Amino acid sequence: MKISLNWLKEYLDGDISVQTAVEALERIGLMVEGREEKDGDIVLEVETYSNRPDTLGHLGMARELAVALGLRLKERNWPLSELAVRTADLADVQILDADLCPRYCGVVVKGIKVGPSPAWLQKRIESMGLNPINNVVDVSNYVLFSTSHPIHAFDLDKIAGARVIIRRAKKGERLLCLDGTDLSLAPDMLVIADEVKPIALAGVIGGQASAVTEETKDIFIESAYFNPVSVRLTRKAAGLQTDASYRFERGADISFPPQAALMAASLLTPFGGRSSREPADVFPLPPKKKEIILRHRRITELLGVQVDETFVQKTLTDLELGVEQQQPGVWRVKAPSWRVDLDREADLIEEVARFYGYEKVPSVVPSLQVVDPIPDKSREKLDRVRPLLFHYGFNEVINFSFSDADRERLLATGFEAIQIRNPISAKASLLRTNILGGLLETAAWNKNRGLDAIQIFETGNVYFRDERGCRERLTLGLLSTGMREEPHWRQKSREADFFHLKGVCEALLQQLRYEPFSFEKAEHPCFEPGSGLAMAYKEEKIGYLGLVVGRIREVFDLKQPVCAAEIDLELLFGKQPKPFTYEAVAKYPAIVRDVSLLVPRDVSYQDICKAIEKLPLPILEESRLIDLYSGESVPKDKISLSFRFVYRHLQRTLLAEEVDRAEQQVLVQLKRAFGAQLREGGKIDNRTGKN
Amino acid sequence: MKNFESRVDELRKKFEGALAGVNDDRALEDLRNEFLSRKRGHLTLFFDDLKALTPEERPVAGKLVNELKIQVQEALTTRQGKLATRVVTPDKADLTLPGEKLPWGAPHPLMLFQEEIENIFLAMGFSIAEGPEIETDYYNFEALNFPPHHPARDSWDTLYLGDDLLLRTHTSPMQIRVMEKFKPPIRIIIPGKVYRREAIDPTHLPMFCQVEGLLVDEGVTLAHLKGTLEHFLKTLLGDKIEIRFRPSFFPFTEPSAEVDISCILCRGKDPACPICGGTGWKELLGAGMVDPQVLKNVNIDPERYSGWAFGLGIERTAMFRYQIADMRIFYENDLRFTRQFSLK
Repeated sequence: MKISLNWLKEYLDGDISVQTAVEALERIGLMVEGREEKDGDIVLEVETYSNRPDTLGHLGMARELAVALGLRLKERNWPLSELAVRTADLADVQILDADLCPRYCGVVVKGIKVGPSPAWLQKRIESMGLNPINNVVDVSNYVLFSTSHPIHAFDLDKIAGARVIIRRAKKGERLLCLDGTDLSLAPDMLVIADEVKPIALAGVIGGQASAVTEETKDIFIESAYFNPVSVRLTRKAAGLQTDASYRFERGADISFPPQAALMAASLLTPFGGRSSREPADVFPLPPKKKEIILRHRRITELLGVQVDETFVQKTLTDLELGVEQQQPGVWRVKAPSWRVDLDREADLIEEVARFYGYEKVPSVVPSLQVVDPIPDKSREKLDRVRPLLFHYGFNEVINFSFSDADRERLLATGFEAIQIRNPISAKASLLRTNILGGLLETAAWNKNRGLDAIQIFETGNVYFRDERGCRERLTLGLLSTGMREEPHWRQKSREADFFHLKGVCEALLQQLRYEPFSFEKAEHPCFEPGSGLAMAYKEEKIGYLGLVVGRIREVFDLKQPVCAAEIDLELLFGKQPKPFTYEAVAKYPAIVRDVSLLVPRDVSYQDICKAIEKLPLPILEESRLIDLYSGESVPKDKISLSFRFVYRHLQRTLLAEEVDRAEQQVLVQLKRAFGAQLREGGKIDNRTGKN
Repeated sequence: MKNFESRVDELRKKFEGALAGVNDDRALEDLRNEFLSRKRGHLTLFFDDLKALTPEERPVAGKLVNELKIQVQEALTTRQGKLATRVVTPDKADLTLPGEKLPWGAPHPLMLFQEEIENIFLAMGFSIAEGPEIETDYYNFEALNFPPHHPARDSWDTLYLGDDLLLRTHTSPMQIRVMEKFKPPIRIIIPGKVYRREAIDPTHLPMFCQVEGLLVDEGVTLAHLKGTLEHFLKTLLGDKIEIRFRPSFFPFTEPSAEVDISCILCRGKDPACPICGGTGWKELLGAGMVDPQVLKNVNIDPERYSGWAFGLGIERTAMFRYQIADMRIFYENDLRFTRQFSLK
């Protein structure tokens, strides 16, 4: 809101400097965001709040300053050039929809000579950043920016039948607005109509047909109170926002219409305007005066400081509230009609605090008793996941949750994307159904800036619509591409390949005790055919990983292989992990045996593991694949797998024969199940190195 | 058999010759493979050859090969020990060579900053609660005392997903969800992503991160809010900053306050200051005493309990702290930017 210092002085008794005004306003929460000098005036840009429509005019700001600075408000008189005929006899005002228009007041001003405004008025209008138009329009604006109450002037001769009817629009009615908009009116819009047609959109904008022109002689000044919600819905539907609608939708002062109308009439007397002191005032729905009980004790309880009772009473009285002491420390308070924000005790306490000064409220660190923490399992688990991923060398990224149709089509996750009804742009019109899209974008960004080693992850929601409605699921996305480390004299740089990322997934599930987990081959639209795996915990699918398919990489201009994975953390965190139990450290030595087996190529490693696990061999502590070989010395349809078996008995030292027997069982089992053969020379007892 | 013996001798000489030339780990490993590889090592193949001998010859020959194998293994082990000693001997290695490079992954700076904030409140006995990003009008607005169709909603420009469904514009709906479920005393902070219908520019994003704080108990006052936030902000941003509380308006708090901190860049002296514009103050967070209507909406008696709440933008606070001019950089995810912050 623009506030002119000279204009304020029309209301404030006493001279105040700009510095004084700014400091006082800011102290009570009215922040000055800009100031400019204009023709010997200073215009402040003051931030206002949506619950304080009264501050959208100089009178309201003057009231605030008067209380803050202990100044008096000037009484202003609005003399008229009296007209003997009452307005009601010149125009017939009728409210048909009182719910949307609880009060409508009109004043007819006769005999005006429309023309340019005098210099003082033009200056005022210009200080608000507007161009002066003519005396009638400028007076309307002057009243609005003075009092915050919007008024509107019609050419009386253009109101058919001199009838002013406030009613809902009829289907099919149109209005050509002052700004040139040809508006198709909807039945829930409130209009001002004459005998024949709508002549204004109530509280929003006037119509061209009834506008004041150079030829206008007699005008009808409208000063009303319109239902705030109705004005808001109407101006939204019409796509219009005016100084008037801005104020009406925040709530005008319902007591003020006659004063605003007479003020305008008075300001028009220098131009020949004559009017009756008695407006046509239709007021079918007067509001009930609400009484608020204010307890001094509550002020102290809420603010944490003892505010003097006389200060409370004086502040509220200065703010023109009706204050009556009911008993010591208890007041009955009535807020003036312009303070639409004051409804409850807490609102009054804020007023007291504002003028008392927030800076005088002490800073007290509360003494906090012990309370039970509110558990957040998902968050606790996430707090374990992230450090593990940092440890594996992965960098955290955060991408926007938005997506678009192209991307969703490209990544084809099979989820129905949620549409944003009022997106800021087509590029952000959907919510993402996957983390991968953002990760690919991030990879491309970094790749284009010369980074070669890109290991990134994001934890965040994906969103989709299903039969239960709009859903969001916490998801982990992982992406790895390029080298795992920069070249270095001690280490060969390793490429980030599929098994690197698989290792990350395995380590993560293992460290979170989501065991047993398993992987199954599964095709996925994002992955190269034959490169995808589905991850499962206790047989339930929790995610997938694979090599991103070329056509997707191309879109992001990523030429080298890209491995990616997604894990549904919401699903996973909802599952019970393997309980943690402490196991005593083994006291007796293990016997380690390495065995190389020739296995048919179509047998999967996972099946071999399952077969070994099925054996009732409590002494087999661990079996690990330590080498894989296929080449000249291995038949084409076979592959050589070298396992390291670790045998241990928890209560005693194992005998070699026991291990031999166990090993034999393993070999027999694998031979029976898969036709696995021991390679020649393929057994080594690592303890002695003897064949 | 003679032939066999001489072949063993030959192989021994070959091994000794090769061993003398070994002076690093890799050469040693190659030599080990050449002789002992389980697939094609010289000695492995020798064992295979044993089969061709007569049953009488076999044990003798086997013993010979085995002896060579043990000799090779021991020699390799001894040599490895020597090599290992050699590397750590100062006069033979250039110790100024760089050490191995250990890869490390870094958290996103916003998460780091969020954790820093969380930790300050965790130390005061607060819990962390996170809530849904897809919210209903009720939780995002109505329960927080925004009447339907009230212009107050305009300051929280909303992205809608349905008639009643939206992307939360602040973390405050979680206040309601927590208060519905738990009885006072309540002490929580709520971090999370929030959404506004804003065009992207250096200081506005359609998605950003917020942290909300809520305390509800008997006898909670505005003075407590001031004390707690002062402690929090000074811990986060340093003892030297000054803090200013000024009246403001939020539908869900009454009285409401805006909290400013003194500009650490120009201290109010530079009219062109990118942080404060010369005012000396930077608006950092919104706060206030929980509105009695909000307490009533969750069946908490406002006569018995009172509370305070605050909300703070993580990006804006981090930008202030590190003097980052453009908010967009957080979502570019340039690893050269993000990785720096794990060093702090």
